[in-house]
Amino acid sequence: MKYLLIFLFIFFVPQCFAQNFTADIKTAKASYASGKLEDSHFALLQAMQEIDLIIGKEVLKLMPAKMDAYTVNAKDDNVTSNVGFIGTTIHRTYGPQGNVDISIIGNSPLVSTLNAFLNTPLLGGMMSNGNNKIVKVQGYKGQLTKQDNGNGQTNYSIQIPLGNSLITFEGKNTTDSQALAWAGTMPLQQIAKLVQ
Amino acid sequence: MLLLKKITLLTLLCIVGISYSGHAQFLKKLKEKVNSAMGSNSSNTKNTNSQGGNNSNSSSGSPTNKTGGGLTNTTPPDVNQQMADAEKSQAAGDYSDARYSLQQALMGIELQIGKQILQSLPATVSGLQKDTIQNKVMSTQWGWNNLSIQSVYKKDDKQMTVTIGNNTMYSGFVNLYFNNAYAQTSSNDNKQNVKQTKVKSYKALITYDDSKGYTLMVPLGQSSLVVWECVNFATEQDVMNAANAFDIDGIKKMLGEQ
Repeated sequence: MKYLLIFLFIFFVPQCFAQNFTADIKTAKASYASGKLEDSHFALLQAMQEIDLIIGKEVLKLMPAKMDAYTVNAKDDNVTSNVGFIGTTIHRTYGPQGNVDISIIGNSPLVSTLNAFLNTPLLGGMMSNGNNKIVKVQGYKGQLTKQDNGNGQTNYSIQIPLGNSLITFEGKNTTDSQALAWAGTMPLQQIAKLVQ
Repeated sequence: MLLLKKITLLTLLCIVGISYSGHAQFLKKLKEKVNSAMGSNSSNTKNTNSQGGNNSNSSSGSPTNKTGGGLTNTTPPDVNQQMADAEKSQAAGDYSDARYSLQQALMGIELQIGKQILQSLPATVSGLQKDTIQNKVMSTQWGWNNLSIQSVYKKDDKQMTVTIGNNTMYSGFVNLYFNNAYAQTSSNDNKQNVKQTKVKSYKALITYDDSKGYTLMVPLGQSSLVVWECVNFATEQDVMNAANAFDIDGIKKMLGEQ
């Protein structure tokens, strides 16, 4: 029964979004034809939000179901669409304590700073405080940062810019090589294609 | 004896060294002379060349650009086409393409709204003529905070720049000012450089700066803002009169504000 419900949810949710999208486009077209530009504008923005949500769901589908021994926390899966400064936010966690936390932010304002850090050796050198370094994950440059929790545990985060989106990968109580290995299991190329 | 031999040898080496260095210096000087002579000669030929023919070569030898008509103005995106493309891409599962088409359609609509508003602005305000060359409509595809429209009115050294923007952040600041109880204080001397006022029953904020002149801001609805920047206007009343010549209700309606 539970699986049936999950199946129905997975199957029907994108359909609902698709229906909303079609309805929004229809409204936009009708408003545009009758010269109501502002109404058409609003309907298109709605359609854009729908598309962002669909993209988010698709990205979640692409992500691995398991990260090492940690299974996905399906109830924490979250896609938010914000029209404005920041685009879609996609969030997923793995493990009982959210041991692995992944977030993808579209149109992130942090991307330009991070790109400057990654592509300017001098800047990279100046901003480096010994707790971060530049790494490559599947050919994509990223920044690995070490965070000391003070209780003998260390967290590692990897930030990878993909176009104007930013993927932040966080591993709790782990090692740098383990965090990199986890990040390596993400289908970055396919995600990049969807979010760009 | 051996010591004497050594001293002689050393002296000899020194003499040879000095004479060689003198020789080298002489050679160096000669070389410089030749180079300078060659240089002036070649520059002469260069000059005659450039005088006789085209002077498209700069002193570094790389050509400078003389022709080219610039970029042609692209027509705004075809909204109907973009909406149809978005629908098609979405049905085919190309969500990224669908998003792009939607952005293009939004941009097309915003540019049209902008042009409508520009056309609705008066041709003359307080004796200043609308400088149609400086009309601008800009859309940045960034969701709500995207559209900005600019028009410039001029006469002699008097200038008024009207900017109408759909920018939440900026209008948010102005609204913040209205809601702030401490805002109405005068800061320096007894002169009040910022104050609240009203333009056609809309709450407004007027500021004065010696280097910039008067700036009048009127937030419209939830996210839009009209800004008048007035240079060389004699009094505050002049600015208010100019602002009153604009159909603010019409602009508000076209921007879809309530």
